[in-house]
Amino acid sequence: MHMTRMNSPSIGMDEGTGVGHALNDFLLQLENYTPSIPDSVVAYYLNISGFESQDPRLIRLIALASQKFLSDIANDALQHCKMRTSSQLAQNSKNQKGPKEKKFVMTMDDLVPALQEYGIVAKKPHYFI
Amino acid sequence: MSESIERIEASSDARRRFLNIAVSTVLLETGFEAADKMSMETLTEIMQCFIAEVGNSAKGYSELSGRVEPVLGDVMMAFMNMGINLQGLEQYAARPNRHVIQPPQQAPVPRQ
Repeated sequence: MHMTRMNSPSIGMDEGTGVGHALNDFLLQLENYTPSIPDSVVAYYLNISGFESQDPRLIRLIALASQKFLSDIANDALQHCKMRTSSQLAQNSKNQKGPKEKKFVMTMDDLVPALQEYGIVAKKPHYFI
Repeated sequence: MSESIERIEASSDARRRFLNIAVSTVLLETGFEAADKMSMETLTEIMQCFIAEVGNSAKGYSELSGRVEPVLGDVMMAFMNMGINLQGLEQYAARPNRHVIQPPQQAPVPRQ
């Protein structure tokens, strides 16, 4: 897995100051907010890389940001999945009328193009041992 | 020796499991009903790398300005440097159907 920073969507610098102010206010609200990832887990991984903060709000902000990052990726993958299944359904309905499939299953086929938009190159291995 | 290594692996596995649960929760919220093992593992690895990278970068920025403990600005710089879009973070935080995972229980330290 390799992360490139050039072709990932980024915050424009011109609106950076506005985001900074809004984020400062937002940080105050994080006092009584619990992200999905437990604080202690995020703190552990942050400590591994040398980040040590006494402020739990910063840890929560990072947890929330990573959660949003993941959610954006998942949303893209879902769109890929929907497009793929709808085209398959159209082909199937020409041949025979099957039951409509509405279950979305995340596979590497959807995840790889979604990750590529975020500058993460993930390759599906050809085989497993 | 081997016992201590095993214990370390087991404890990191516990954190990993919580990350796995968090990833599954987000996927469920997004609208997926199932995921195969490889994509789950890929996303979990991405989350772990993401958090570690933000920590590393924020620490670098804080040390660059002569501080020991990172502040909000350092974390912001880390996000910007990584090209993370924080637009709509507040709306994301206030989304209606969010699940919260029970925080992990601290295991009692066994007496030697």
